[in-house]
Amino acid sequence: MAQPSSLLNDRRTLVFVLLAPVLAFFIVFNTIPTLWLLGLSFYNYSLTSGMPPEFVGFTNFVNIFFNRNGIWSDLSRTFIFVACAVSLQTLLGLMLGFLFWGSRNMPGRRIALTLLFTPMVLTPVATGTFWRFIYDPTFGALNALMGLFGATEPINFLGDPTFAYWAVLAVDCWMWTPFMTLMTLAALGSVPKAELEAAEVDRLTWFEQLRLIVWHHGKFILMLGMLLRTIDSFKTLDLIIPMTNGGPGQQTRLVAVELNKQAFQSFNMGWSSAYAVLLLLISIAMTSVFIHVLNLRRRRERS
Amino acid sequence: MTKYTTRPSGLMMPRRQVLKGIGAMTAAAAMSMPVTNRAFGQEAHPLAGRTIDMNILGIAGWLPSSLSVAMTPLFNDYVRDRYGYEVEFAFAEAPFSDLFQRAATSLATRSQEFNIIISDSQWIGALAEPGWILQLNDVIAANPGLDIDWYSQTVIDTYMAYPDGTENIWGLPQEGDTIALFIRKDMLHDEAEKAAFQEKYGMPLPQTFEDFEDLTMTDFEKVADHFNRPDEEMWGTAMQYSRVYDFVTCYLYPFMFSQGGDIWDASTGQVEGILNSDINAMAMTQMKDWLKYQPPGATNFGIAEQIDVFTTGKVFSCFQWAAVGLAMITEEMKANDQVMVVAPPKHGTGDAADRIYTMGGQPWVINAFNDEEKMRVAIDFMNWWYLPETALEFARRGGNPADRPTLTADGFDDINPWNRAYKYMLEPGRSRDFWHHPKYAEMLAVQQEAFTSYMTGQTADPMQALNYAACNQQQILFDAGSAAQSPSRSCITATL
Repeated sequence: MAQPSSLLNDRRTLVFVLLAPVLAFFIVFNTIPTLWLLGLSFYNYSLTSGMPPEFVGFTNFVNIFFNRNGIWSDLSRTFIFVACAVSLQTLLGLMLGFLFWGSRNMPGRRIALTLLFTPMVLTPVATGTFWRFIYDPTFGALNALMGLFGATEPINFLGDPTFAYWAVLAVDCWMWTPFMTLMTLAALGSVPKAELEAAEVDRLTWFEQLRLIVWHHGKFILMLGMLLRTIDSFKTLDLIIPMTNGGPGQQTRLVAVELNKQAFQSFNMGWSSAYAVLLLLISIAMTSVFIHVLNLRRRRERS
Repeated sequence: MTKYTTRPSGLMMPRRQVLKGIGAMTAAAAMSMPVTNRAFGQEAHPLAGRTIDMNILGIAGWLPSSLSVAMTPLFNDYVRDRYGYEVEFAFAEAPFSDLFQRAATSLATRSQEFNIIISDSQWIGALAEPGWILQLNDVIAANPGLDIDWYSQTVIDTYMAYPDGTENIWGLPQEGDTIALFIRKDMLHDEAEKAAFQEKYGMPLPQTFEDFEDLTMTDFEKVADHFNRPDEEMWGTAMQYSRVYDFVTCYLYPFMFSQGGDIWDASTGQVEGILNSDINAMAMTQMKDWLKYQPPGATNFGIAEQIDVFTTGKVFSCFQWAAVGLAMITEEMKANDQVMVVAPPKHGTGDAADRIYTMGGQPWVINAFNDEEKMRVAIDFMNWWYLPETALEFARRGGNPADRPTLTADGFDDINPWNRAYKYMLEPGRSRDFWHHPKYAEMLAVQQEAFTSYMTGQTADPMQALNYAACNQQQILFDAGSAAQSPSRSCITATL
């Protein structure tokens, strides 16, 4: 039998060879596009103008910050959306997670879990479309249901500025609460049984068990779930497009909706690249905060 | 009108060279064509004996687009019999709001992915300016079959010419379209309704096409009010207020245009002071007032929602595109003769009353990056599409041709219930299109935000919404180098 190449006998070379496909993929599909995006953000380039890209320095960034149609209102709307969505989803996910964790012998538990996770696996565009119909004041099931309970006037959930934002948020919660339930179940699954049994023997209260054992073991997974949801909520687009397309007016125009409009409807590639760079920085900042919080206790323990 | 000019086309090969190539191919093929072709009555053609793959990009969920697709086997029969070649068509679709994105992302890479595209009329500038589509003046000059007597100048201005007012031709009408008023004829002709209306308003209920020709919105409001019965789940009318694509824009413009309002000065790119005028603010208020005669949720209404409420009997009337007539009149409605289609009412009062509605419809445009074979097939396709028998067949299937010979042919008005109204609205001065500027999508997006903001009550003052749209559009055009003036200082405070 032939001996493997001597090059592969060298551990460092072997590591490099094994990593090469992933590195190549990462460079081609991540690093180069990101650098390209960064470069394009300094150019005035419209795909439909027929003009070549023109270097404009930081003009795109300045325009984003000082434009009337600028980033501030979209950002504030988005942050409120992210805060509300992640908080509600985490809270509901925790409640449902504990419910299913504490009822392992409940008949039909598996079916209930499968049904619970269904919204999460649906395509957001399809979800947005059928919720648009559910919310419809003329044909919609929700208004019909409210009518049965005595509501006299149908509510135009997606057309009324008072309701539209919260109606979209509710659908986002409907869709992603199961994800937080899943993360809660995973977090609870990581808690060693022996420690819980020891806590029972030591007669720790339920709250003490939660604080000292469950939280200690499960927090990383839970925080990871919250981090993923935060980043994902920040990018919410495919749910909004079929439901409100950012309207009424600008009521549901989140940053991703504006970016999509500028890049793929208006084809302002320079401006939208600058916008995307700013959103990327914000996402990195949010991720750093989460990781910092997650590692806070570890750092304290070390110090 | 200025004479047409050619521009750098952005072809992989210069357009003129492609056309010359096609000419050379034709000549070479004619000389070398086997005698058998002529024996079977076929004309000499460079593609004889070949099978060519062609791709058409059309509009998803849009009947006129799918009608064209359904007619392509007829084209195959035509070229097989006449030229001796075969075409295998493939079709791609995207909804209105995404079609330009789909086309642009492909054309920007100089791709032949879509050889022929059903574009929206306002996109002509955005497709022509980067040289993505073929300028058709030379093609028309070389193909007498494409030198057509169009029904009105509106057809040329809407679907063909860019920049506005020039003779540079970039598109050919695939489907003409105007707004028409679809009415429940059975309710309108009901004797009890007629008597009740006469008693309540002291005027007869309009009955015929001619009655509606003279009708103003003020009088039509009485009709809508008469049939507006929310307790019975029946409302007076339906318009479009949706933020999607250009829906609310196309329905607000008739209120503006008909009463003397305008949206910009195309020659100077000036928007501020024109769009945000008192007339246009009044027009916005009027359109919002019409919500009281429409089902709840009308602020979300687009084309599909209108079709739903009309075909399910929830509205007495509906301002709708003639192009979706087939969907608006169900088989049951047709069998019971329940629907009539008339010209939409005039705006204003007395002698000043006028009707200028928004043009709809789409042109065919040809990918400038087609190779010689596909370009040849695309041109053959256009020649076939405008044959009198093809145009008539399109009309029979529910489409709206835009050429004078077809529209004035005996019996055209009776082919479809909406044909008369469509033709009436296509007369000069009754319908008009809006921007063909490359910045169309961007200008539309801010405007849709502004208009829906007012229509849904997010913005209380119509002038505030108009100021926001005007200032942003002025900035967009100024940045694009199309407007001499930058937005005024007052624009600093323009928000929704």
